[in-house]
Amino acid sequence: MPLILFLLVFLGFPAVVNLVYSVSDVSFETLRQPAYAGLKNFASVWNDAAFWQASWFSLRFGLLTAVLECLLGLFLAIFLSPLIERRSWLLAILMLPLMVAPALVGLMYRLVLHEFVGPVPYYLWAYLGASVSFLGPGSAFWTLVVVETLQWTPFTLLLFYMAYQAIPSEVTEASAMDGARGLQRLWFIELPMMGPTIAAALLIRFIDGFRVFDNVYVLTGSGPGGSTASLSIYIYEAFFKQGAIGKAVAASVILFVASFMVLYGLNALAGRKKGAKR
Amino acid sequence: MIAALRWFVFALAAIALNFPVLVTLSTSFKSARELSGNPGLWVNAPTLENYMTVFHVSDRLNIFLYLFNSLAVATLGTVLAVVLALPAAYAIARGKFGERTLLPLIVNLRAVPLIIFAIPLYMMFQWLALLDTRLGLGLILAIVNLPLALVILVNAIRDLPAELEEAALMDGASRTQILLKVVAPLCRPAIVTSLIFGFITAWNEFLFGLMLTTSKAVPVTVGASFFFAASGGGVQWGVASAVMMVGALPPMLLGLVMYRQISGSMTAGAVKG
Amino acid sequence: MGTISLNKAGKRYGAVEIIRDLDLEIADGEFVVIVGPSGCGKSTLLRMIAGLEETTSGQIAIDGRDVTAASPVDRQLAMVFQSYALYPHMTVRENMGFGLKLAKVPAATARAKIEAAAATLKLTPLLDRYPKELSGGQRQRVAIGRAIVREPVGFLFDEPLSNLDAALRVDMRLEIAKLHRTLGATMIYVTHDQVEAMTLADRIVVMKDGRIMQQGSPRDLYEKPANLFVAQFIGSPKMNLLACRRRDGEQLDLSGEGNLALSMPGAAAPEQVGARPEHLSLVAPEAGHCRGVIEASEYLGGNMSVFVRAGRLGLINVSAPADTPFRVGEAVGVHIDPARASLFDSLGAAIGARQ
Repeated sequence: MPLILFLLVFLGFPAVVNLVYSVSDVSFETLRQPAYAGLKNFASVWNDAAFWQASWFSLRFGLLTAVLECLLGLFLAIFLSPLIERRSWLLAILMLPLMVAPALVGLMYRLVLHEFVGPVPYYLWAYLGASVSFLGPGSAFWTLVVVETLQWTPFTLLLFYMAYQAIPSEVTEASAMDGARGLQRLWFIELPMMGPTIAAALLIRFIDGFRVFDNVYVLTGSGPGGSTASLSIYIYEAFFKQGAIGKAVAASVILFVASFMVLYGLNALAGRKKGAKR
Repeated sequence: MIAALRWFVFALAAIALNFPVLVTLSTSFKSARELSGNPGLWVNAPTLENYMTVFHVSDRLNIFLYLFNSLAVATLGTVLAVVLALPAAYAIARGKFGERTLLPLIVNLRAVPLIIFAIPLYMMFQWLALLDTRLGLGLILAIVNLPLALVILVNAIRDLPAELEEAALMDGASRTQILLKVVAPLCRPAIVTSLIFGFITAWNEFLFGLMLTTSKAVPVTVGASFFFAASGGGVQWGVASAVMMVGALPPMLLGLVMYRQISGSMTAGAVKG
Repeated sequence: MGTISLNKAGKRYGAVEIIRDLDLEIADGEFVVIVGPSGCGKSTLLRMIAGLEETTSGQIAIDGRDVTAASPVDRQLAMVFQSYALYPHMTVRENMGFGLKLAKVPAATARAKIEAAAATLKLTPLLDRYPKELSGGQRQRVAIGRAIVREPVGFLFDEPLSNLDAALRVDMRLEIAKLHRTLGATMIYVTHDQVEAMTLADRIVVMKDGRIMQQGSPRDLYEKPANLFVAQFIGSPKMNLLACRRRDGEQLDLSGEGNLALSMPGAAAPEQVGARPEHLSLVAPEAGHCRGVIEASEYLGGNMSVFVRAGRLGLINVSAPADTPFRVGEAVGVHIDPARASLFDSLGAAIGARQ
């Protein structure tokens, strides 16, 4: 099948290159004659404080944005569903941020938050008489969290709205007959029925937040002081800025193994749950 | 009363979520002079001069090249992904092949950080002389688009009644004929959805564009960031905003027109994947 | 020509045997109906004949040619599916012509064949419509038309009427019967509906658990069921089964609730008497073969279905005239028509009937 050939060339081959180079002493000059170097590259990654800082950033960023996006998306989906039901084009307006390239959104925030031409600092000065250095140390992480959350909340909103609509009306009617009121119905009936979707949304958003690159890269690079380098940016900079091919590739392999382990673990878990339900 | 509150929340959400786009849109209509005195959302004297500058080709910024590159790589990356995914999806959906291994592998691919493949692909492209070519970037974008296209198509084919294919078999159709004359026409909505979704994803992709192109094949997402980085004496914010609007507009329009299909496919990809 | 013969044909999925060593000979032009409860393997058998399911043991031959391993199209059979399986993106004309187009039949010939078939099935005004614009009965006719134009040696029907409402089902049943008379082609028809089986078949094949329980004309199956399964499966309402023991000579003791004299072979040891409701009648309490009290009765228009509680014999269903004088709660006698009763031994096989 053509698909398999294609995958072999564009994924199989890179995987092999990754593995070979990760245990080799290699630079841009010696690309074609990699010398075996054992686990040296892995050791240099392991002992690099920046690697651990980037891992911590990615983990924190992924978890925080996933939770915030899901909470906000859940609230909006349920609270606004009476409006959207009757006018589905409202959904199109809320979905619009999903259509814009994250890299462009990152660039747009450079404008939005700019100390002289950005509306946010301007309005803050005008109404509060003070503003914050949004991309400075201490606040850069939170700014990025807000930027990511505002772009991707529409995704969770969409998912939750669909799941909410898919709850059969008989079930909510039956619970109403059983005497469940608004919030009780939400808590005991509707949220549990949306459980699988919420879990899926958390997972997807965590993964996307964990591997974040585009918007962070254009907004802060990795600064200030490497404090906003995600793992993706760490690997990119090791390769392009430092020319440390071995280190970059070793970090890729670690990331690859870690993500596949997590994914297959989750798949197996989901599969068992499904089996148990039957 | 509660209805009014709902509308208020909606308006707040619509503005907050779209805030960067609104700001950029407003800034793109401001003259340099107005910008320095009025960073707010309201435009006092709207002007098109920023857009005139953008569409005036110069050495530093060739927006037409970037747009053409984005169009070409997104089209290649989308069409190729669907062409590759359709036969595979048919085989997988009918349980003939790869349901246990290939499907989860490709679906999980969607969740793997792309940077992992970027470095070896960079080296490979160097050997194959595919760096900074539209062909090279298009091929990679096909990989990026494959997982979702496959999931959408597998689901669509699974929903087709098997009796239809059996009827075609009784009519003397071969597997290929069944795929092309029965399955593909019936999956047209799913194919269209994969194409739209893939096009938007590919158009908006940044990492591979950044790594694998330098000048000739630069897509608009990367081109816009060049514009920021290259401006020595400070960014011309009005022109920069116009560039970003031009780069963001095609997928936004596509999204506005096709939001129903897109919302459906997002749910499918998320829950079934 | 269109003879189809199965020789020890079998189908297994792993350890599960769906069809076991099945022998079946179908003559040219015969209308064979395969009936059985769901899960008996009747649809699998049809699909094996069609070539849609692999035959894992034995042979299938069409007109003497071994087609066990042949592809569906090489068998020159046509099939009408339960869901009709019309191609939704093609018009009626294109649906009917798809097979001809694949077989590279010249366009003019194909056109003539399609129009002839459409005329037979009264589809001519609908030829350029799409399936979604047709009613259930019209779709059904298109599915049949698609089969006809290919001029197959045999037609296979897989529960073709089960998606239609009751009135339409009767009409289509008559049309299919007429079609069989006009075309004179071999037809194999799978259904779980015994009325369809009785009305359409030259020969009925009753299946259970992947085996043939009995085959024969509708009348044979109704009057001389070979075993308890067929006796209970054919006929509506179901045949009554009364536990009995042979006393002496040709006298039967009906569980101590009555007596019945019946001619039977000398060595036979019947354990149950089978009597259809329509072969029983209500009489005065002392005049019947057994007695009981009417527990319920259902008015069905043309007749009355009466349930008599008869001690150890249990509930007996009697078909009485609509104006029967007996009322619920009354004691009655039940008369059994000895000429139409069947006897079954301890294994459930009929005594004296031909196998």
